[in-house]
Amino acid sequence: MVFAGLPITELLALAGGAATLTVLLYVLKLRRRPVAVPFARIWDAVFRDRQATELFSKLRRLLSLLFQLALLALLILALGDPKPKAALFDGRHIVVLVDGSASMKAIDVKPNRIEVAKAEVRKLVHGLGSADRALIVEMGSLPSPLSTMSSDVTELDPAIDSLSASDTRADLERGLAFAVDSLRGLPKGEIVVVSDGVLGDLSEVAKHVDLSGAALKFVPIGKSGNNVAISQFSVRRYPLDKSRSEVMLEVANTNDKAVQVELTLLGDGTIIDVSRLGLGPNERLPRYYQDLAGASRTLEAKIRFADGHADDLPADDHAFALMPERHRARVLLISRGNTYLDAALLLDEYLDVTTVSPGQPLPAEHFDVAILDGVAEALPDTVAAALYLNPPAEGSPVKIGHPIKDFGFDTWEKKSPILRFLALGDVQVADGHAFVPAASDHVLGASDQGPILVSGARAGHRFVALGFDPRNSDLVLRVAWPLFVLNSINAFVEEDTSYVSSFRTGDVWRIPVPSSVDSATVVDPHGGHHTVPVKEGRAIYLGEEAGFYKLVAGSGTEAVTSEFAANLSDLAESSITPVSELALGTARANPVVFGAPGSKRELWVYLLAAVLAFSVVEWITYHRRVTV
Amino acid sequence: MGFLDLFRREAAPRTSRREHQLFDDEFQRKLEMLALVSRRVFAGRLRAERRSKKKGSGLEFADHRDYVPGDDFRSVDWNVYQRFGKLLVRLYEEEEDLSIYLIVDCSTSMGFGGKKKFDQARRLCAALAYVGLANLDRVTIVGVNDAVISRMPTTRGKGRIFKVFEFLSQLESRGVTDLGAALKTFVAQHKRRGLAVLFSDLYDPAGFEAGINMLRFNKFEPYVVELVDPAEARPALKGDVRIYDCETGEERELTVTEGMLDKMQLAVGEYRASIERFCVQKQVPYFPADVNTPFDELVLRVFRRGGFLR
Repeated sequence: MVFAGLPITELLALAGGAATLTVLLYVLKLRRRPVAVPFARIWDAVFRDRQATELFSKLRRLLSLLFQLALLALLILALGDPKPKAALFDGRHIVVLVDGSASMKAIDVKPNRIEVAKAEVRKLVHGLGSADRALIVEMGSLPSPLSTMSSDVTELDPAIDSLSASDTRADLERGLAFAVDSLRGLPKGEIVVVSDGVLGDLSEVAKHVDLSGAALKFVPIGKSGNNVAISQFSVRRYPLDKSRSEVMLEVANTNDKAVQVELTLLGDGTIIDVSRLGLGPNERLPRYYQDLAGASRTLEAKIRFADGHADDLPADDHAFALMPERHRARVLLISRGNTYLDAALLLDEYLDVTTVSPGQPLPAEHFDVAILDGVAEALPDTVAAALYLNPPAEGSPVKIGHPIKDFGFDTWEKKSPILRFLALGDVQVADGHAFVPAASDHVLGASDQGPILVSGARAGHRFVALGFDPRNSDLVLRVAWPLFVLNSINAFVEEDTSYVSSFRTGDVWRIPVPSSVDSATVVDPHGGHHTVPVKEGRAIYLGEEAGFYKLVAGSGTEAVTSEFAANLSDLAESSITPVSELALGTARANPVVFGAPGSKRELWVYLLAAVLAFSVVEWITYHRRVTV
Repeated sequence: MGFLDLFRREAAPRTSRREHQLFDDEFQRKLEMLALVSRRVFAGRLRAERRSKKKGSGLEFADHRDYVPGDDFRSVDWNVYQRFGKLLVRLYEEEEDLSIYLIVDCSTSMGFGGKKKFDQARRLCAALAYVGLANLDRVTIVGVNDAVISRMPTTRGKGRIFKVFEFLSQLESRGVTDLGAALKTFVAQHKRRGLAVLFSDLYDPAGFEAGINMLRFNKFEPYVVELVDPAEARPALKGDVRIYDCETGEERELTVTEGMLDKMQLAVGEYRASIERFCVQKQVPYFPADVNTPFDELVLRVFRRGGFLR
């Protein structure tokens, strides 16, 4: 037995002083209340009986003193915080990995799985031995330690309280790797996984994780998995009619029995479609909604059982998508007349086209894009970007190289937003020029004779240059022509470029922002603000909640606000049927036995409890006149 | 009660109560009623006059005795002589005024507990005095503790009742009880024997027997009215206390428990039983007077019990 509190010398001094004081106080005669009686002799009869028990009374007085001294001794012992000697050594080091994935939001247990998990962890922590130390880790898409490796319950309890589930999948591999790293060099390492077992392919995890001798234990959470989900959800505008859009979604039944579900589609918050679907056991059913005209900005999908009651996991019953915001682009066309170009520009009603002939003075107002058809006039600063079609050598942003004949696109950037949806492989061109791009320029398309489509920037103004007159090719006869023109305009006005209607939670999102900004703020669905870094024109953010987000790029008057959506979209996470045991390859996780030998036993607590019990007994016996 | 009062001795009973309320109009009306009732109850056999045990020239025949020379011939019973041939003289009980001594215990213990016992004793004393005065008896009232501390001279006639009230109102409860010593003085001061009614709680450290015996041995006819306050048998005490006798100041320390209060109640009962036992053995009329019982009811009980008026 050792004393972890006050040292023994101080305890002895304290005990001596307190005992002396107690005895002194006890020796002091009790000042009694004087009371008059009419005839004291009558009381003698009562006293005669008391005489016989006087010795016993004195003994009871002595007992009372001994009683108080015992209380004192217990209190001083409690101050010393006595512990078994063995308890100070060889404590366990436990990393508690608490599943914070979306499946832990399931409500098959009350109030939900994460709250039950917190209760289990709290039970585990409160049952730790006095030398045991624990580290609480929330295991989401990334492991997040919420405490230090500590035996202090007052530190661990707040960490447990802060545990939460997000709309992501739990990465067990990363969690275990983190736990192993945390336990490296520490004796008696244990990893306790508190989860519903919806943790992906465990055999893959087993291949990549070496527990390094740490004992693996498992606390199962959850009891059922009655769930349907929206596992995919995306929307896009039609490229040639952006007032209309199409939606693709997938609903999934993760149960072993068929269900009837009701699927509701909302556009800008208003219901635009409700349908009933029958889903077989574990069936995934894709659905397409074409030519939708009811939504201009937001789209949401909701699913529920046809009988009206909710399933066990509400997180995947609601999906979000956002369409790019539309605004009119101002286009300045400098051309001697080009029917194919005019026709292409007519396809987009959101374009304001101003046409001028070469040599005429240019309007002074702002233009998003200038299309220079066979000319290369100097453009004022009010024109943000330019599309050059077969520019002459003089005034061309890209140096004109040698003339070429009978060529086509042998290579092109298929992922470029300008060439998106374009099939250029068999375009035939009669003649043109190869470009000699600058180092900072980007070749988007080239023939075997040289670059013929180049993008870049000059004096802060972006451009795209095509090295031939489209009328000297069959490009203008193809669907690719108007798409090329409109994609170029969209790229310049930064609309719909690499547009993603919704992100997937748990991934690192790369959200396009105007290239001029270097910082951005993400506002999550709960209103929380997160400053995120911007790298190569993309804001980087690890999103963990489904819903609509706002992104504020830049600051002050130049701030640009955009919106985007995020969804769980993870069928594995929607399959919430809990497992009762965790097996990593051949190794099975052992169950945790709460209150096992070695669990936390602070003796001072028991001593104080004994003092309290003694005090209660003393109080009762005093007032019952047993001890006095 | 202030905090410091916890450490002080219990304050003595206050005397601010107006004494005239003791014998107010209502009280006097009840006295009149009691006088009427007493006459009705004892009419015919207990006239106002009281006969002494002396044989003399009264009207009531008492006995015969042999004629001796010198006796009045008029008292010879000729009828007996005619029958038996013996000269016998008729004896008659001599009539005389009855002397009623009302002795009020004025010790401190009588004033204990709000003077309820003392007030009740004075009311009973006044009532019996009134009845006695109305019956033309000679009434004397004496206040005693360990001595005779006050005395109202012998008086008769119910017109003197206000003098009785005045005297009783002026009595105070103080001093130590010693009935033996006090009544020794009393019998020495009063040669004329008669009925001696003792109003007392009989809390006499020297023993209640001494006082009663003093009356008996000096040929008074003692009548004991014990003033009883039930609250004294089970005082409202609890915990660690130091009790002291309100008269002698004797102290005892004790921790009062429910069991102890039960024993106390038994002890008080035993004490009262010993008083009653003593009185029965000595043929002394004994009457317990509860302070919570109206005095007129108590007086009627006294009448019914007999012994006060014959």
